[in-house]
Amino acid sequence: MKPSPLHALVAALGALGVFSLWTGLGASRVEAADDGPLVAHSVCEAHELEARKAADPSLQIEIPQEFASPWPSRAACLSHTAAEDASTPGPVQPIPFSHKHHAGLFQIDCQYCHTGTDRSRAAGVPSVQLCMGCHSQFPPTYDELAGIRTLKQHWEEKKTIEWEQIYRLPEYVKFQHRAHVQRGVACQTCHGPIEEMDKVYMTSDTVWWPWLLPAHKPEMGWCIDCHRRNGATQDCQACHY
Amino acid sequence: MSEIDRREFLKIVGVGAGAAAAAGCYRYSELPEKLIPYVIQDEEIIPGLPVIYASTCQECSAGCGVHVRTRESRPIKLEGNPQHPINRGSLCARGQAGIGRTYHPDRYVGPLQRGSDGAFAKTTWDDAQHTVAARIAAAQGKVAVLGAPTGPALSRLIDAWLAAVGGGSRVVYEPFAREALREATSAVFGVASEPIFDLEGCDLVIDFGADSVGGSGRSPVEHARQLMAARDVAKEEGRASRLVYVGPRLDETASVADEWLPAKPGSEGVLALAVARVAFETRSKGAPGSEASLQGVLAGFSPESAAERTGVSADAIRRLGRAVAAAKKAVALPPGVALTSRRAVATNAAVLVLDVVAGAVGTSLHIPPATETRVASFRDAVKLIDAMKSGDVKVLLVHGGANPVHTLPPDSGFTAALEKVGTVVSFASLPDETSERAHFVLPDHTPLESWGDAAPRPGVRSLVQPTIRPLFDTQALGDSLLGIARAMGDGVAGSLPAGSFRGVVESAWSGTSLRAALERGGEFGEGSYASPSLSASLARIEWREPQLEGEGEFVLLPVPSPLLGDGSGAHLPWLQETPDPITKITWQSWAEISERAAASLGVRPGDVLKVETPFGSLEVPVWPRGGIRDDVIAVAIGQGHTVGRYAAVQTPDGSSAPRGVNVISVLPSLTDEAGGRAWLAAKARVRAAGRFERLPFTQETDDKRGRMLGEAISLVALAEGGPSPWAPNQAAAVVDHGTPITGAAAAATPLGEVAPGEHAGEGDKHHEPEILRAYDAVADSLPTDPFRWGMTIDVDRCTGCSACVVACSIENNVPIVGETQVKRARIMSWLRIERYVGTGEPTLQPARPGPQNHEELGKTDVRNSPMLCQHCGAAPCEPVCPVLATYHSPSGLNGMIYNRCIGTRYCSNNCPYKVRRFNWYDYQIETWPQPQPLMLNPDVTVRAQGVMEKCTFCIQRIQAGRLLAKTEGNATPADGAVKTACQQTCPTGAIHFGNLKDEKSEVREAAAQGAGRAYHALHDLNTRPAITYLARVRREGEDHSA
Amino acid sequence: MTPPPAEPVAALIRPPPVARDSQVNRDLLRVMDGVSVGYFGVLALALGFMFAAGGVWIYQVYKGLGIAGYAHPIFWGSYIVTFVFWVGIAHAGTLISAILYLFRAKWRNAINRSAEAMTVFAVLTAAQFLGIHVGRIWKSYFILPYPNQRALWVNFKSPLLWDTFAITTYATISIVFFYVGLIPDLAIARDRSTGWRRALYTVLSLGWEGTSRQWKSHNRTVLHLSGLATPLVLSVHSVVSWDFAMSIVPTWHATIFAPYFVAGAIFSGFAMVLTMMIPVRRIYGLEHIITDYHFENMSRFLLLTSLIVGYAYCAEYFIAWYSGVEAEQTSFWSRAFGPYWISTWVMISCNAIFPQILWFKKARTHVPTLFVLSVLINIGMWFERYVIIIGGLSREYDPAVWGTYTPQWTELIIVAGSFGFFCQFFLMFLKVFPVVAIAEVKEIEIHARAHGEGH
Repeated sequence: MKPSPLHALVAALGALGVFSLWTGLGASRVEAADDGPLVAHSVCEAHELEARKAADPSLQIEIPQEFASPWPSRAACLSHTAAEDASTPGPVQPIPFSHKHHAGLFQIDCQYCHTGTDRSRAAGVPSVQLCMGCHSQFPPTYDELAGIRTLKQHWEEKKTIEWEQIYRLPEYVKFQHRAHVQRGVACQTCHGPIEEMDKVYMTSDTVWWPWLLPAHKPEMGWCIDCHRRNGATQDCQACHY
Repeated sequence: MSEIDRREFLKIVGVGAGAAAAAGCYRYSELPEKLIPYVIQDEEIIPGLPVIYASTCQECSAGCGVHVRTRESRPIKLEGNPQHPINRGSLCARGQAGIGRTYHPDRYVGPLQRGSDGAFAKTTWDDAQHTVAARIAAAQGKVAVLGAPTGPALSRLIDAWLAAVGGGSRVVYEPFAREALREATSAVFGVASEPIFDLEGCDLVIDFGADSVGGSGRSPVEHARQLMAARDVAKEEGRASRLVYVGPRLDETASVADEWLPAKPGSEGVLALAVARVAFETRSKGAPGSEASLQGVLAGFSPESAAERTGVSADAIRRLGRAVAAAKKAVALPPGVALTSRRAVATNAAVLVLDVVAGAVGTSLHIPPATETRVASFRDAVKLIDAMKSGDVKVLLVHGGANPVHTLPPDSGFTAALEKVGTVVSFASLPDETSERAHFVLPDHTPLESWGDAAPRPGVRSLVQPTIRPLFDTQALGDSLLGIARAMGDGVAGSLPAGSFRGVVESAWSGTSLRAALERGGEFGEGSYASPSLSASLARIEWREPQLEGEGEFVLLPVPSPLLGDGSGAHLPWLQETPDPITKITWQSWAEISERAAASLGVRPGDVLKVETPFGSLEVPVWPRGGIRDDVIAVAIGQGHTVGRYAAVQTPDGSSAPRGVNVISVLPSLTDEAGGRAWLAAKARVRAAGRFERLPFTQETDDKRGRMLGEAISLVALAEGGPSPWAPNQAAAVVDHGTPITGAAAAATPLGEVAPGEHAGEGDKHHEPEILRAYDAVADSLPTDPFRWGMTIDVDRCTGCSACVVACSIENNVPIVGETQVKRARIMSWLRIERYVGTGEPTLQPARPGPQNHEELGKTDVRNSPMLCQHCGAAPCEPVCPVLATYHSPSGLNGMIYNRCIGTRYCSNNCPYKVRRFNWYDYQIETWPQPQPLMLNPDVTVRAQGVMEKCTFCIQRIQAGRLLAKTEGNATPADGAVKTACQQTCPTGAIHFGNLKDEKSEVREAAAQGAGRAYHALHDLNTRPAITYLARVRREGEDHSA
Repeated sequence: MTPPPAEPVAALIRPPPVARDSQVNRDLLRVMDGVSVGYFGVLALALGFMFAAGGVWIYQVYKGLGIAGYAHPIFWGSYIVTFVFWVGIAHAGTLISAILYLFRAKWRNAINRSAEAMTVFAVLTAAQFLGIHVGRIWKSYFILPYPNQRALWVNFKSPLLWDTFAITTYATISIVFFYVGLIPDLAIARDRSTGWRRALYTVLSLGWEGTSRQWKSHNRTVLHLSGLATPLVLSVHSVVSWDFAMSIVPTWHATIFAPYFVAGAIFSGFAMVLTMMIPVRRIYGLEHIITDYHFENMSRFLLLTSLIVGYAYCAEYFIAWYSGVEAEQTSFWSRAFGPYWISTWVMISCNAIFPQILWFKKARTHVPTLFVLSVLINIGMWFERYVIIIGGLSREYDPAVWGTYTPQWTELIIVAGSFGFFCQFFLMFLKVFPVVAIAEVKEIEIHARAHGEGH
């Protein structure tokens, strides 16, 4: 896949995001830093300050007891912030869920949450119960993350989460997840480097036909190209009925 | 995880796919773009995969088991339960359409109370129950419960409830109750119960107007299956088996019969006794059914006298009698609704006597012990009406979809009596004429939402379980009753079961493993039957023909509609739009009279007749037929509703007019000897009203003009063996000389015999059945592809019941276009059943032929041939599509890609079978009012305006099957793993589907077995269809044409 | 069909009445200037029909084809009928301009301009109907074989695709032909006009000076174009006929269709030329340029093609009987005596019987008769297509689904609109371009005078 202008854009936006995050934290400290040590107001800030102190030992920091906790981890804090950042590509989800954190850092298998993807046409979206399966066991300090609070609220109210759909095909296209998963097609083939995304967006991919026509993902030509290269079926009825 | 948990879960799941499908009636772009997962996901449910629950069909009293296919906990299709002993996996048209009740746009969405202004107003369950409770308490036992027969659990609860609330009368009311048969059984055998007929392996079946395989038979699916299995021409005994039909009209059963005796209506009993007498005399002494006590009964019925009284020739009676005596396993079926006259008990008894003589008792006729469940009684209904008139009923509760206002004759005075009842409570879930007159509507769940059970016959207990969370604010009847009782105080409620009605059902099944029963669909064991002897009361029966009221020249024959039943089916658009199996008329009422009678009245098809009886008159368009007695006018029961979006005609100003006519409105409220309801009771005076109404029929002529469609072959010709007369290599010969327009060759062809040219093949008997060669499966699909999907359709087994048509429409989201569009030939069904009579003559057409009918009284050469996309190997539609929207798939299917179609409609012009349908309007908006979109099949695209569509051999099922096989590690699905919707539901197994490349596949087996009578529709066009038809077999039976 | 051999036709030419050059110019250009109330009335009428049709069509696109009279199994109706009709009309132009040019039938000069104009307008009208007829006009670009991301191709086996090509080709050629022929006259017009007209003609006449070199290359171009166009006359309507002949519908699947349709096309084309030119000649007093003698020659053509068409009718029925194919026979029988018998007999009498009066010189030279006859022929030819399409589809192989078709007001408005569409073009043309090829008419005179002196 060649790097495209969109990739450059994504990279730029990503950088911008990280930068703003850094300055943001910086600002909060500046206020506190008039006199006396820098005081953390949350576990996430505590992580930040420790990182700063590691960088320059002269820095005076104070971490109240209630915030002196390893959880949520610094990675979790950063992912969470990045996932709710509207300036990066992709829609802001009702819960700032980070695939990077779960699939990337923790290496949770895609099908652990997206169950039935290997048996069904649809890739299942995990139920609230499944999320709570892990998250109910986490220490209360996690609740400082807004996403966790929303999740627990949904669970208590038994309310469904309405995720924004990103990969969406017309009714007359019957994409079969199971067929692809069974053939061992990696999720990333179509969904891009999902394990590197804090906030999921549709990565762009383009195939150039010999007659110099672009077929963009997820247009039909893009599917056909892959099917041709891999000798998969090109029967129209495989997808259209 | 047990069912119980699942129920809890369903209460709290968010149905994401539901949200999407609910929007099915909007354009695609307007669908919500959210992913809505479950809060708690039932581990049974994987989004995108169906979950199937076993339940019981509630559309009629036969009690067939169903499998409810659900997607994301929404039922999308009903299919027969293969384990159920009654229907063995099949379902009739009504059963298939039953799913529509749950998603019906007219449903009551919550409890209603009639306000002071006389209009319904919303109320809460609590208020409603308390008000009703108060009224009941005030009524001091002047309470009555009127309703259709229910399952044992509910029935017991109602009785207990009535007792608890201070007594009151309970009336089980069913328009098509078979009381006369029950009475007759007690008269003949001394057991008051309804016999069960088993046609399995019968070599002689005499149907006395029961129309057993017709949609309103006793157990149509079961009987059709048993009958056709018994007549399987592949077997020696099958070829020997005969079906004889006695009745004034060529109905579904008569159409598939070998012999049709159009006896005078009402004289069936006499005929039965005469036949019995001949058989009795032929029978050797000591054989079963040679009891001396019969002698007296039969004495008075010589063939000659009977011939005079019935209009059936004496030698016909003799021959039939001898056949009965000779038969190994014979059975006579007593009359159905249409012939239930004022002497119905005698008639039924006579037929039972014939059964005795035929030795059917214990073999093909079983008498269950008298049941404890309440059975319908017309006498009770009449009593109730009197009580209502005299003000002895203060509170009337109507349940179970009973609609007496529509189904009782006006002169029964029910409607008037209803005015006198202070409080009428209706538990209807769909508005009907009765519920619209009620003071309270406490809407019941639909069968798909409720718990319940059924006990269709000894040894068979069947469960009803909910498969979807109630769509609206409705409440199960049982729970409403319990709620009312509790509202009346603990004194009342104390004696009733605590908890919900579901608990009641479960406790009723406490003896058994509920879990297992839920999985299987019930408990299916062998029933124990009484082995009765003739009762003395037999002698007391007086055998006379019935008197008919009025002195018209026509006998008014009210026939149950095969599709709408007693009218409850009229609310379901699929049943309304499915053509009547006999006349191919949709959405309307019509009167059948003989062509001779029509000629003398000077009316042509569609001219309106004025039908007058002493009890009223109605105007209805006429449909002249050859297949009906000259002295009979037949009108189907079931139409004429004034309430309902589909059941009635919606006029532009918002009001609703009756759709068709309600023949009951001109019938008297008369009873048979034992107080059962008499349907065949009036004579009618008929004259032309001088108007014309275009009937919405879908087939104009039943003349196939000698073309290779709906073929038939005589048993003789078949017995000669050898290749099919229509086998490809000979077919060429047939076609090449063709049939000259002089019609000489056709004229020389006796009906049903093989046309002269078609015998060309008999010269070379030695070689393979060529018909199989025509498959040339490899040539018509990619050599590398493991499949060439194909079908074998046995015309000999098709009864025209149209279950496949409805199944197809529901499986494939086929739109309903409505009456006016059907009149413009815009019906969308992918599968139609063509009904041809005889070989047909290529006669020259008059300028405006109009509907033509070639039936003849006493002749049964009817061919029902299902016509669907033939998925030709050389499909004419494929090369002409400029955009390749229709193409030949690697698996040999004729693919139709909706989103590529631009609508030039060339493919349809070029399709010789005319099976393609075009979306003239945006039906996806017009046919799916909320919440109907919830039942759309998510695996099938809803077609948009301006695209062509057609049968796909259920491609969605094929693809699912292939992928499932892969999941299980097989290269290809096992034979029979992929079933098309039509094949799945066919009661007689007339449709076989499978992979033609698989030598051992069922579809090839069937074709090979029927090789002697196999043909391809319009073979001469060399389209190489994937469907092989097996011709109807005409067994020799006497010709009774006048 | 073959036009009459060159020599006899050339021999037919008697010197037409002579007018002096400037006189011819003035006569012909007079047509273009000044518009009468009558003219506006007619134009308004035409436009009215056109816009009404446009409205109905938009409604149809929104609501669906259901508003037309289609009924299973008759999936093609008035739209295709009218499409074929206009394609037919389009034939006279090329025939007159190209074939008669090659045969040096000079008498064509008086009418070829208007005939060519009609060709162009008729093709444009016909093309409309391809779009009106399809179910999803918004997807109709699928039918073009352009490289696309879907990597999908079109079906070159489909006659409908050939149709698309045939029509577009024909439109291109006839427009070019029309324009090339116009150039010298545009120059004349340029020299005699002022204002916007002058500007327009200056551009369009491509700096024509009338030098012998220009004339030489002009003539050569026309000659070559004629060579190109001639096969089209035969091919276009053959292709259109294959829409039917290539299918298996009884009464359609016949080898006679191509010649049958071509003859019919020329027949109707000439009829339309007469219908249009007779009033024009009368109104603008061009009797001395478009003479009865021209009409007579056209009448001979009408007679010839009418005979061919009549022969085709007989042949169809004979073959149906002779083939012994029951479906074919039934279909033809019901065509003549079935639900559509009226249309059939209208077609036969208008196309095969009435034209026989042209055997008489009196009829050939009596203009009112010719006018009435030409109108009748146009009606007859529309019904011919109606009978072929509707009649064929209503009686096919499966008797269970035989159907009948009744046109609805909606489609009739659209059909009427197509005539409005055509007429408004023609009316505009009258006012903007010389209705008769001035240069060529003069050519004749010069010849004539030369001959005259010679004698």
